[in-house]
Amino acid sequence: MSARNPGMELDLEWVSRVRVNTQAVLKRAQQIQGRKLVKKQWEAAWLLRAVTCIDLTTLAGDDTPSNVHRLCLKATQPVRCDLLKAMDMQDKGITTAAVCVYPSRVADAVKSLKAANSSLPVASVATGFPAGQTPLKTRLEEVRLAVQDGAGEIDIVINRTLALTAQWEELYQELQHTVYRASLVAMMAGSDFIKTSTGKETINATYPVAIVMARAIRDYFLRTGHKVGFKPAGGIRTAKDSLVWLTLMKEELGEEWMGPHLFRLGPAPCWRTSRQVYHHVTGRYAAYQELPLA
Amino acid sequence: MAGSTNKTVHDIFQSMEYGPASSSTATAQSWLESHSRSLGLFLDGTFVCPSDRQTSTVNDASGQRLWTAVCAAEEDVSLAASSSVGGFKVWNELSCHQRARVFHRFVSSLQRHGQCLTELCELAQAPSSVSALVRLAQYYSGWAQLKDALVPDWTPRCGGCGCVYGVVAVAVSDDCSLYALLLKVLPALAVGNAVIVAAGSGTALPALLTASILREAGLPVGVLNVLTGKDLSLGVRVARDPNVSCVTYTGNKQDGEILSRETAGLGVPLSLSLSTSAICPFIIFDSADIDSAVDGVIEAAFRKKKDWQWILCVQESVWDGVVARLKVRMAGMKCLPLLAESDRPIVDAAVQEAQQQGATVIQPCPPPSSLSLYPPTVLWGVAPSCPCVVSPPAGPLLPTLSFRTATEGITIANHSPHGQAASIWTEDLTLSLECAKSLSVGTVWVNSHSVFDPSLCLSGTKESGNCANGGPAGLFQFLRPALSPSLSRSSPVPVNYAKFGTDGTQPTLPGAPEPADLAHDPRSYLHFVGGRPCKADSGRSVAVLAPGGGVIAYCPDGGRKDVRNAVEAAAKSQPGWKKRSAVSRAQSLYSLAESLELKRRDLALSLQAQTGILLEAAEMEVDLSISRLCDWAAHCDKEGGGVQSLPQSGSALSFPEPMGVMGVVLPDRSPLLSLVSLLGAALAAGNAVVMIPSEKYPLPALEFIQVLQSSAIPEGVVSIITGGRDQLTRALANHSVIQAIWYWGSKEGCQYLQYTCCSPLKSLWLHPEEVGDERGKDGGQDWACFHPSLMEEMWRQATHWKSVWIPTA
Repeated sequence: MSARNPGMELDLEWVSRVRVNTQAVLKRAQQIQGRKLVKKQWEAAWLLRAVTCIDLTTLAGDDTPSNVHRLCLKATQPVRCDLLKAMDMQDKGITTAAVCVYPSRVADAVKSLKAANSSLPVASVATGFPAGQTPLKTRLEEVRLAVQDGAGEIDIVINRTLALTAQWEELYQELQHTVYRASLVAMMAGSDFIKTSTGKETINATYPVAIVMARAIRDYFLRTGHKVGFKPAGGIRTAKDSLVWLTLMKEELGEEWMGPHLFRLGPAPCWRTSRQVYHHVTGRYAAYQELPLA
Repeated sequence: MAGSTNKTVHDIFQSMEYGPASSSTATAQSWLESHSRSLGLFLDGTFVCPSDRQTSTVNDASGQRLWTAVCAAEEDVSLAASSSVGGFKVWNELSCHQRARVFHRFVSSLQRHGQCLTELCELAQAPSSVSALVRLAQYYSGWAQLKDALVPDWTPRCGGCGCVYGVVAVAVSDDCSLYALLLKVLPALAVGNAVIVAAGSGTALPALLTASILREAGLPVGVLNVLTGKDLSLGVRVARDPNVSCVTYTGNKQDGEILSRETAGLGVPLSLSLSTSAICPFIIFDSADIDSAVDGVIEAAFRKKKDWQWILCVQESVWDGVVARLKVRMAGMKCLPLLAESDRPIVDAAVQEAQQQGATVIQPCPPPSSLSLYPPTVLWGVAPSCPCVVSPPAGPLLPTLSFRTATEGITIANHSPHGQAASIWTEDLTLSLECAKSLSVGTVWVNSHSVFDPSLCLSGTKESGNCANGGPAGLFQFLRPALSPSLSRSSPVPVNYAKFGTDGTQPTLPGAPEPADLAHDPRSYLHFVGGRPCKADSGRSVAVLAPGGGVIAYCPDGGRKDVRNAVEAAAKSQPGWKKRSAVSRAQSLYSLAESLELKRRDLALSLQAQTGILLEAAEMEVDLSISRLCDWAAHCDKEGGGVQSLPQSGSALSFPEPMGVMGVVLPDRSPLLSLVSLLGAALAAGNAVVMIPSEKYPLPALEFIQVLQSSAIPEGVVSIITGGRDQLTRALANHSVIQAIWYWGSKEGCQYLQYTCCSPLKSLWLHPEEVGDERGKDGGQDWACFHPSLMEEMWRQATHWKSVWIPTA
């Protein structure tokens, strides 16, 4: 993680001056999606970079120590060793960025990772994830407990009721303004990362929303000099998606925002990425059983 | 590139660079191979490779031989022309529906061969998007179907006398894209003309493929012929062929000027679109979505093949915000290829000069040693007078100016000889619409840039062109009212352009010709400049002769300075006249008709005295004139443009705007009726006019001054200057404020205007009088007939179209 974002006084004037032209943002998103994707060894390298940015996540009601353990082991070795060797990448520390679990599973995850001799951080969702509809007191308590158990990173959900009614009465559909403003406020409050969504809802990380958030990050950086990270979550289904996300970061914020310290991919299907890597190395498409199990 | 393929996965993993851009051109290459890379000309529906012609080899970007072009010789041009005549006969005989079916099949063939066409455009370094071409073809297939239903009284550009056919020559400069070419070719075909394309090196290859695709779609043999050559001289040779009835050009300014000079006096109308050398303002207001605006300007200014040169204008209050974002966004950008290595020293010099004038240079990296590459460069904080703003070199340069208020921004943006397009960025609706109105350009993009659709007119004003492309207005370039006489072909006469109109008229010396009527002294008239009756600046006057030969009056002998004063007054009053509501303009014209009614008898008498017609006939002409003025008054608020429906979401407005200040040289025939018809058209559209009455019959116009004075037409909007026609024509042609000239007069005058009015560009409407036609058939026009199509033609000549894009999500 890069230097922490200390936050700043809430500057409502800045927040209210924000202008977003939806049409232009959509066009920009199309343009980024329409870019020709990288091929050959560039594709392989980009995919591996995408893997190192993944927050390997399990957020299910039936999580138990055993599946969390399996997840942790996969996080330490997301791509088959022989494939990495073929690309001469076996000793370059290709692991996912973090393991992300519910607060009650944090202790299990920390234990499993310690056993595997890994220093991967454990992230925990908190504060009434995913809806954010719990009282402040319980939310704070939740964070405290998770940190106590060894969580290095906490995903916080903002209270959208506030965001939507209190200050910015724009329609919910008019996402763009709200997104930019909410992002700015979150950064002023000292967030190190801002995240598109919880990954648990029907509308997830879309590129236009991401562009707006990336611009908020850039704005905040230009104003304060602090670099805030970005995490798209949900809706990332294919290996191609993760490449488009990396392209978006490169185009909007630059290469610095393409590493795990400033960029995370939320719940993403690691195995699809592995399959593409497998194809790059062998020239064949892998059967599901040839890839590491989650 | 060779070195980069050795990069290991780990290197790339560290640097996160993009891989080499690889686009396959296999389909296009194999098409070229199938023609042995030597396509020849597309004549009579097939590729023809005449032997013993000059050839020129065209290389692709990497220096490999792409293909060999045949340079069409004289006999190829006449072959193409006669083939087109045959093609026209067949094509014009078909019903609208049959022509539309060819267009339909063309659309599907275009989609089928899209990949090949894209690759070919890529290879020819003039990229065009196939989806845009498909949309263009679809749009004009609609017009092909509906031509007879929607523009029934207009015919293809052919002559009425049977000797001239509807053959349109389309000439393009080397740097023009296939889209721009087809934007001329398809409407011409859709309304039933045959077309000869004189292609430049950039468009030749895709144009040849398009021609064969059209042939495959069932276009009759000869309807489209494509000639290739080394330079623009080919276009000139095609225009000189007697079978060609209309010439249109798209491309850069230099070649357009040459074509215009070389075709002067041929008797073919020439329309120019000089879009490729246009300089367009990109205006960011403080109410803009700055990030999107910065994205937009980077996309517009730093692409491999730019449509236009952009000048960035930024409001002072967001100056710092814009520069900070530009720096961040440009940080990782790569160098762009220059069009030619010879451009590099020019670019270097321009950057250096801007720096010396205090501009800050923003570049992602210093210029590389390779001469063919240059980094995207912002010249931050240049003066409006800096050479890099006035004439920016071809290259990835973006000069940037600041402005304080919106009004100042518009003033800076309008302070340019170019009038192609502008992009404005603001979230403020009122500001954006006000801005769109006041910018003197053909297209305004609000919060967007460089979007096109064939349903919207793409026309330039000022130096950027004198015709409309696309939209319904784009069809009229290739049509003429069935009732109007066509220009007949002629060969240029020797005209001394430096001397034309400098001789001056014979001043009236004391004791010269006898008065016609000894009982009345001939009256001395004043002409009308800037709303005031006055003498000529020269102080001289000339005698006006009766049909019998005696002097009936003296009129001022106006000259250059009178024209200058009149134009000055017109330029001052025109914006106010244009800004008035259409209803208020209509009221003024009605008041003019009323004043004319009150002076009915005076005008009839002056007509009788001047032309010698019977009083009843003269009174009839006055009555017709009154009704004509009422026609135009009624027309004022009838055509206001409208909202176009587009494939994209959002709205687009398309509306007519006045030309500005116009010069009208009036015909001899029906001296009052012709004056009123033309004046009405110009005023109804919102123009200011400087009128030159017939040299032979000026009396009715001089009498009409009193009518103007007692009407509600604002001062300065109309001036009437009498004197030598050639002299005054020269004065009009050499005044840059005048945007359009309508001319009835000698062939030499037409030729002079065509030769002179290409720089600065004016739009011309020329009517050479038939020599030896004593009935005064001025270009054959019968002024008493006022068919709707004639009215529409006049009105179209008095306006140009503006498009405003307001995309929304």
